[in-house]
Amino acid sequence: MAAVQDGQLNLEVEKDIKTEITNDGSGNINANSSSPGSTSSGGKSKSPAGSGEDQQTLFAVLQFLKRNKLTESVDILRREAGLSADADDSPVSESAGAGSGAVPNVGADGGDANSLLSRVSVATPVAPPTTAPPKVVAASGGEDQPDVNVVLSAYSQQGDPVLYPLYYNGLKKFIESVLDCHRAELSQVFYPLFVHMYLELVYNNHEIEAKQFFEKFSGDQECYYEEDLRILSSMSKKEHMKGNETMLDFRTSKFVLRISRDSYQLLKRHLQERQNNQIWNIIQEHLYIDIFDGMPRSKTQIDAMSGSLAGEGKRDANKAKVFYGLLKEPEIEVPLDDEDEEAENEEGKPKKKKPKKDSMGSKSKKQDPNAPQQTRIPLPELKDSDKLDKIMNMKEATKKIRLGPDNLPSICFYSFLNAYQGLTAVDFTDDSSLIAGGFADSTVRVWSVTPKKLRRVKSAADLSNIDKESDDVLERIMDEKTASESKILYGHSGPVYGISFSPDRNYLLSSSEDGTVRLWSLQTFTCLVGYKGHNYPVWDTQFSPYGYYFISGGHDRVARLWATDHYQPLRMFAGHLADITCTRFHPNSNYVATGSADRTIRLWDVLTGNCVRILTGHKGPIHSLAFSPNGKFMASGATDGRVLLWDVGHGLMVGELKGHTDTIYALKFSRDGEILASGSMDNTVKLWDTLKAFDDVELDDFTAATGHIHLPENSQELLLGTYMTKSTPVIHLHFTRRNLLLAAGAYNP
Amino acid sequence: MDMLLCLSMQPHSILHFLLLMCSYFSFAKVMIQILKDMGITEYEPRVINQMLEFTYRYVTTIIEDAKIYATHAKKNIVDADDIRLAIQCRMDQSFTSPPPRDFLLDVARQKNQTPLPLIKPYTGPRLPPDRYCLTAPNYRLKSIQKKVSSSAGRITVPRLSIGAVSSRPSTPTLGTPSVQSVTTKVGTPVSLSGQRFSVQIPSSQTAASKSSTPSTPMVQNVLINPSLIGSKKILITTNMVSQNSASESLKRKHEDDDDYDAL
Repeated sequence: MAAVQDGQLNLEVEKDIKTEITNDGSGNINANSSSPGSTSSGGKSKSPAGSGEDQQTLFAVLQFLKRNKLTESVDILRREAGLSADADDSPVSESAGAGSGAVPNVGADGGDANSLLSRVSVATPVAPPTTAPPKVVAASGGEDQPDVNVVLSAYSQQGDPVLYPLYYNGLKKFIESVLDCHRAELSQVFYPLFVHMYLELVYNNHEIEAKQFFEKFSGDQECYYEEDLRILSSMSKKEHMKGNETMLDFRTSKFVLRISRDSYQLLKRHLQERQNNQIWNIIQEHLYIDIFDGMPRSKTQIDAMSGSLAGEGKRDANKAKVFYGLLKEPEIEVPLDDEDEEAENEEGKPKKKKPKKDSMGSKSKKQDPNAPQQTRIPLPELKDSDKLDKIMNMKEATKKIRLGPDNLPSICFYSFLNAYQGLTAVDFTDDSSLIAGGFADSTVRVWSVTPKKLRRVKSAADLSNIDKESDDVLERIMDEKTASESKILYGHSGPVYGISFSPDRNYLLSSSEDGTVRLWSLQTFTCLVGYKGHNYPVWDTQFSPYGYYFISGGHDRVARLWATDHYQPLRMFAGHLADITCTRFHPNSNYVATGSADRTIRLWDVLTGNCVRILTGHKGPIHSLAFSPNGKFMASGATDGRVLLWDVGHGLMVGELKGHTDTIYALKFSRDGEILASGSMDNTVKLWDTLKAFDDVELDDFTAATGHIHLPENSQELLLGTYMTKSTPVIHLHFTRRNLLLAAGAYNP
Repeated sequence: MDMLLCLSMQPHSILHFLLLMCSYFSFAKVMIQILKDMGITEYEPRVINQMLEFTYRYVTTIIEDAKIYATHAKKNIVDADDIRLAIQCRMDQSFTSPPPRDFLLDVARQKNQTPLPLIKPYTGPRLPPDRYCLTAPNYRLKSIQKKVSSSAGRITVPRLSIGAVSSRPSTPTLGTPSVQSVTTKVGTPVSLSGQRFSVQIPSSQTAASKSSTPSTPMVQNVLINPSLIGSKKILITTNMVSQNSASESLKRKHEDDDDYDAL
């Protein structure tokens, strides 16, 4: 003890007071705690000289004392050194201690003390000395003590930032030396590690070192991270980080990696052998390693699933049961006096009734185990008009063309002329009678596709004059004077990015950059409601297949579920790391899929608001989603030009369709799900054979358990046709009830 | 869209670039360099001008603000602290960013706990309460002393749905005598609107059993509170329409009214 204390007196500090205080402090420490204190005081002798660092030493000592609850010493030290009370706030130890599970808490505190002062290893089981300073640095994710963090990191290793490239290089060499089968998996670690190390450097104001680190290693990363790296390169100061909430979220959320047990053991052993465990600490803190037992994955397999901002989806994130079946159609009686020419022509009218009924309702009376209960979520009941619609639908469906590889649909393209690149959203009604376009000049225009013109309902004065008992009262209420081919709806104060018709053709929804979603009536062509909730641009909106509910998703990273008669949302789906660019309902209206700029697709349950699936694999923001009519599969298209096919029930990727060269903005399955049409910015519409694509899917238990996918390279076989337009990017696709494909886009010479 | 997204987040980095490079290049070249650094390769030439304009406006605003802060602190020269304060204040005002993720998760969790509300059957167009809709008229009629044919200034655009119900968003006014009579005879469907009007009915036309009375409804003081008027859920088959029309038209419709009243 005495010898140690003498060693204290040989400290570099010029201030005698300080020496005494540190003596007192260490004396107290020695009295109250065991090894950490003694070794720390022993360590003090090694700390470098310098007045600026004295101050920092002071702060660091104060922190240590506070952490060990040596309040009297704290007061004495403060008084003697003449410090103000708020020079040091809450200690960092919580965040440091919470960060790493590898080092026990006591060791953590002791480790921090070491970090302040020495490189002598503490008498704790595992932690080598340099664990602590980087841990403190790594734990600066708790943003309360930046000054002391900087101090500590700068103090203890003086050039800790300089060592980052060394650590990274060391890991790189190790991974390169590992067996081939493990190398692909372990290479997954590079990107998140790189980003986190860079962000640490930036956060701690080591701008120059950060830039050097970036320049040295950014070229090594996978090509599909290029966009992210560009954004990172523009952030060289801490203030820059504050403005970018995506990066902030990235720092606080865990990047998920899926590595096989063998590879993981290799990595762990290597990192724990070496002296500097900094990388291990960062891994512990910022990465979530989902370990599975089995064969390590190959590079292609990994490439297929990676690319998103937060790594892949955890396996248990995709384990919840999803009811992907369809709701039972209600049995509708086709009235005998229906004006059905075909039925009238045939004698067996009652006979014809039966098959119609069968095709409408389900043949079996049992509940499909994969379908949700009818009452799982409240749905509006059918009105008479809806029943009429359904009968029309059935009639049309009987005339539907069966599509297939040898029977491709005809495509009718609607080009918007003179839109001056302002066309931002398009939608068709289900019966293909109306087309609506949202424009960058904040208008919404509705056109009639059929020869029947658009009419407004008469004013109330005129309505009183009509004969209400007449058969065609529904035509009489329309005002002939207002008949026109198109109607313009004014109301938004920003470009209209999303547009959706209601299934009963009474309403139109539009979402805009001004943050509101507006409901328009298609009888009066006026705006009825403005739903305010997003305060930022709303990129997409869609009505539920049964009407009444609708979803919207926008820049604030939240998707909201609304009902038309509530002015506030019913559900909020939060979890994405970046803007939500595409929102779609499942055909049974119980689930909502959202595609986002963080390159993941999430499936949400409407009933509980929970995220039931996280699907990764795209390498760019997702701009289009489509569910197959039977509800089992989903297709998604992104800026990387690939269409990915997913099995909703298992949450796995089952197909990849390569062919487009630019962003895919439109995806639609045909009415029976045999053909998938995709439209893209490269001015083409491509048709894909989905029956074949889904036939090839063999999902056995092993695949479902580990998530290994084997994607056949059969894009060429599945491509049934490519149709070029005349410099018109395709932004919407729609199959009519008879399986004619309609497409829409703005002519862009 | 992507460009707007990535650039809108970091105006201060643009400032940073600009200040670094303006001494060496012309401003347009600086802008081109910035766009290249951010990875934007395709853009219209007008974009450069727009960016320059924005930058000029932003920088001058910041510097003016900083001058104000410096004078407030009684300093002669503007220094870095003033600029920093100016930037921070502007950030909070114009360049707000969406709430952080943990806050959103918290709010979402709260919101998602409430069960989905049940849907009332057959309620007509399902819209929020009137004050949250945009269907109210944005004008009021002044009170007048004489008989008025107010059909002129009205926006009566009733909305009808094909289903069994309809609604009426507009002002309606007068013709209340028929309201009264209808309520006594037919009852429910129309009563909604009847309750909402604050209209005075000339005493001469009280409680006629037939709605044929309202020949000349002396419409006085038709100060309808616009906020109360909104979509109504009124069956089309009743003669609420008769309420809307002005006096003259009422006369013509007596027969119609009678017919419906008799139902």
